[in-house]
Amino acid sequence: MKPPPFRYSSPTTVADAVALLAEHAADDARVLAGGQSLVPLMNFRLAQPGHVIDLRRVAGLDTIRLAGGELVIGAMVRQATAERSPEVALAAPLLAEALGHVAHPPIRNSGTVVGSIAHADPAAELPAVALAMDAELTAVGPGGERRITAADFFQGPFTTALGADEILTEVRFRSFPGGHAFVEFSRTHGNFAVVAVAVLVALADGRITRSAIAASGLGGTPLRLTAAEQAWEGSTAGSAAIDAAVDAGTAGLDPAGDLHAGSATRIDIARSCLREALERATERALDRR
Amino acid sequence: MTTTARPPAPPVRSHPENRKWVGKSIRRVEDPKFLRGRGGYIADLVRPGTLHAAVLRSPHAHARIVSIDTDAAAALDGVYAVVTGAQAAELTEPLPDFGPDPAKHTWRCLAVDKVRYVGEGVAVVVADDRYLAEDALALIDVDYDPLPPVVDPERALDAGAPLVHEALGSNLAYERTFDFGDVDADFAAADLVVRDRLRWHRSGGQPLETVGAIADFDPSTGQLTAHTNSLSFTSYLFMVANTLRIPANKLDIHQVPAGGSFGSKLFVTKPLVLAAMCSRLVGRPVVYLEDRVDNISNCDHHGSDRVYDVRLAVTRDGRIRGIDIDTVDDYGAYIQFGVGHHGNALAQVTGPYTIDSVRYRVRAALTNKNQQGAYRGFGSEVNNWMLEQMVDKAARELGMDPVQIRRRNFIRPDQFPYFIPTGNVYDSGNYDAVLDQALEIGEYDRWRAEQTQAREEGRYLGVGLIAAQERSVFSATEFWFWFDEPGAPVTSMPESVTLNVDATGGITATLYSCAFWGNSPETMVAQLVAEEFDCDPHDVSIIYHGSQGGLPATGPGGSRTTVMLAGAVEGASAKIKRKARRAASELMEVDPDDLEWFDGGYQVRGVPEQRKTLGDIAIALHLFKHSFPEDVESGLEESQVFDHPYTTMPSADRKDLGVFYPFMGHACHVPVVEVDIATGEVRILAYAAVHDCGTLVNPRSLAGHIVGGTAQGIGTALYEEFVYDDTGQLITSSFLDYSIPTAMEVPHLRIGHVETPSPYTPHGIKGGGEGGRMMAPAALNAAVNDALAPLGVRVTELPMTPDRLRAAIRAAGVVTGGR
Repeated sequence: MKPPPFRYSSPTTVADAVALLAEHAADDARVLAGGQSLVPLMNFRLAQPGHVIDLRRVAGLDTIRLAGGELVIGAMVRQATAERSPEVALAAPLLAEALGHVAHPPIRNSGTVVGSIAHADPAAELPAVALAMDAELTAVGPGGERRITAADFFQGPFTTALGADEILTEVRFRSFPGGHAFVEFSRTHGNFAVVAVAVLVALADGRITRSAIAASGLGGTPLRLTAAEQAWEGSTAGSAAIDAAVDAGTAGLDPAGDLHAGSATRIDIARSCLREALERATERALDRR
Repeated sequence: MTTTARPPAPPVRSHPENRKWVGKSIRRVEDPKFLRGRGGYIADLVRPGTLHAAVLRSPHAHARIVSIDTDAAAALDGVYAVVTGAQAAELTEPLPDFGPDPAKHTWRCLAVDKVRYVGEGVAVVVADDRYLAEDALALIDVDYDPLPPVVDPERALDAGAPLVHEALGSNLAYERTFDFGDVDADFAAADLVVRDRLRWHRSGGQPLETVGAIADFDPSTGQLTAHTNSLSFTSYLFMVANTLRIPANKLDIHQVPAGGSFGSKLFVTKPLVLAAMCSRLVGRPVVYLEDRVDNISNCDHHGSDRVYDVRLAVTRDGRIRGIDIDTVDDYGAYIQFGVGHHGNALAQVTGPYTIDSVRYRVRAALTNKNQQGAYRGFGSEVNNWMLEQMVDKAARELGMDPVQIRRRNFIRPDQFPYFIPTGNVYDSGNYDAVLDQALEIGEYDRWRAEQTQAREEGRYLGVGLIAAQERSVFSATEFWFWFDEPGAPVTSMPESVTLNVDATGGITATLYSCAFWGNSPETMVAQLVAEEFDCDPHDVSIIYHGSQGGLPATGPGGSRTTVMLAGAVEGASAKIKRKARRAASELMEVDPDDLEWFDGGYQVRGVPEQRKTLGDIAIALHLFKHSFPEDVESGLEESQVFDHPYTTMPSADRKDLGVFYPFMGHACHVPVVEVDIATGEVRILAYAAVHDCGTLVNPRSLAGHIVGGTAQGIGTALYEEFVYDDTGQLITSSFLDYSIPTAMEVPHLRIGHVETPSPYTPHGIKGGGEGGRMMAPAALNAAVNDALAPLGVRVTELPMTPDRLRAAIRAAGVVTGGR
């Protein structure tokens, strides 16, 4: 369980990192942030990059800031830092709650928020959060900077819209006034989710005005459960609305089964997680007013 | 029942009262070194200049090896040797194998003509470091011709199934049916016959440090010195010497703390043989330390993997008369320990109950999987689970309470020593006392009330209750009584201790078998020595003697260590005291018979001011020998080889297997669970465990065993499984997919102890190393079944994963479940 030989660079600017990525493209150069996914893959020799470009020393990537109503998290912000950040708690409590489900504290001490999104594991927590929050990802490549919406970003298991010559430098979350909930079912504490559900909901006069619901573990990418959103938006908050959203959100799902749960069990679990998340988010939305 | 003529039991011992140290909770003497990172594991012992070996694993479940091209690997800079299985077969003999007819399923350190499971070693590379060694593995080109795999153990026995070993002619490595007592009559007389089919899937111990060995062959002397964290069968090391073609007196094995064994490091010879073969080949020290994938896929220590068809003969009033067990056990591709796992089962096959007859049919199936070895319980835990499942089912069918049916069938305290139908003896016990305490600390009645309340709220709470046996101190007859031709008389399974009292009176104990396996041998010996000599256990020094020139020792296994070490300490102490008494009598010029041992020295009876401490005596014996008569030698050092205190031969017709696991512990576990019927999730709300392992040496370390074993039992019950798919691929080859309970899944345990001393062991001690895992799977299954009883659901397959629970609940008509 040791990686094959690779070269290692530790640039100090984004521009240098992008240049190194271009320079070593033929060597299958890969970007390293917290290393909690890439390094195990290298140890298993499932990933064999010839060149690893470490972002650790790149200036300015380790900050969390609030800018124009957006929460901006840099590419080297560790999950544990985000989990404890007052800015995250204020602007994206859904993210804060989800971070508590990401593996174990020692892993969160090293793993990064952006790295988890970039890795795009279909069972991971943070891609679902990004999708629910309509996050935007900033990618920098030889042609400059561009923004990619979460909806466009996730394309398949471990596959994203990021170009091979691009580096994700930050993720931007718009705050969502209302209630939130992140509910996860995993085999054991700290394990990958079998199913995880992220819910945001806003109420006015006891009615659901707006919501965002996303789930991981139900397909090759995190899924936005728009049918569930439509099913309960406009209704009076309560068990009937939740029933409708659960039924709509899980109708027609056909997740692939795996070792940890077959397809039918996965849907059973999704229904349970979705119901709990909708209930909790609704309660919190009611509490906020 | 007919009376069987049996060899007499050993004399009943009287145990000393007012013990000072035995029975006292002390901090383990091993802890400081492990907590400070000074345990000295294999990876800590690798010195600069040592070469590293890595093994190329088969990606196929079953394939013929057409050719292997190692040229590119051998040409890599920093690579010293590449050895294929065919070349290894020239350099070594087959690995030690206790299975039936090993010539028909030859087991070697690397596969030769074909691979028989995913992960089986095909070649080994020796290089400057492990990175380079793995780079070289990637350059080895093996041409495989895939063969159809055999995965399901029952299908493996079908005519026409592909053969794992052609020489065997079938995949049935062993089959036999034993009848103990009059099974047919008991079934004919039964009011009710309870039947079930049960499935226990394979899991295994997961050590923090995997198995490893550092071997250093010295060509000038022909001596092989090795450090390894396995090999408990120290007395059987000559078998490894044979594999390596090294004279046994040129093999010196040094003990290394296991870093976790749980059975899984029991006599693991393969890494040692690989490292030793490579060291001899390249003339340099070589380390082979499995990585996690090596360990999971190729450790030779997967646990039991059984299908059961069972019948229980019961009377209307709940008396269990007979049991008829038919089991197929999936042994994987080899069968190194034979069906010893079923010997473990037969040691306590009838549990704590007065069941009169047993039919036991076992079929050992070979399949394309890593082979079975040892895992905490060694197959007896599976029997416990099966029996308790059947007892619960009988109770359900009879409308009896689970407590009531157990009390109805318990062996009573006045019936011990009690011979079960297989011929094994239970030395002592008090099962009602254990049950009473478990009901109390488990708050059984309160939880039953909560359960009633919860059911009204639509919640599924379950209370499990099991009462089961915890055999200890095995005799090796269980490995060969399967065959009509005994290979040997009763083996004695010795364990040795040397005690040395230095000139200051300080005591050093030398141990001869394995280092730390979790069984705290150093703490046990320190406490037992302190008990004998009235010193502080933390002042006793403990060292290990390597195998070369060492006294006979068998090492851990079958929860034997503490009892055997206690016997050795007792004997060596008596010899020390005999010499010390005589020396004291010479020094004080009094008759030895007038002396008594008191508080660390000998004093004249009735004249306490006239005394010599052990230190006074020791300095005289070390420095002033000429003060003593001619026949007194200098120094104060004595050894004791302690042999198994109670084991007897099986009868020639195998109607009686003799005594082979006599010191019988007992436990009652009471877990409370809540099952989410919508998701199949099981949450443990409370857990009580009461054990009776005879006299306690260190309650604190026994509690650690109970907690650790129960945690592993929770894994077996709910999470852990080595899963091979239909093509024989191992799909749980890392901890990403092989789920282990974390501290978050293991509840706080309420632990209770009952002490029923053994009449046959020093202090009345019984072994207690495996108890938690021997109870928890059965207890949790019982709790889940109790929770789901209102739905009419019984779960009969472990582990109880969300998929399996949901399938059972769905089949009962709860389609999506929940609110």
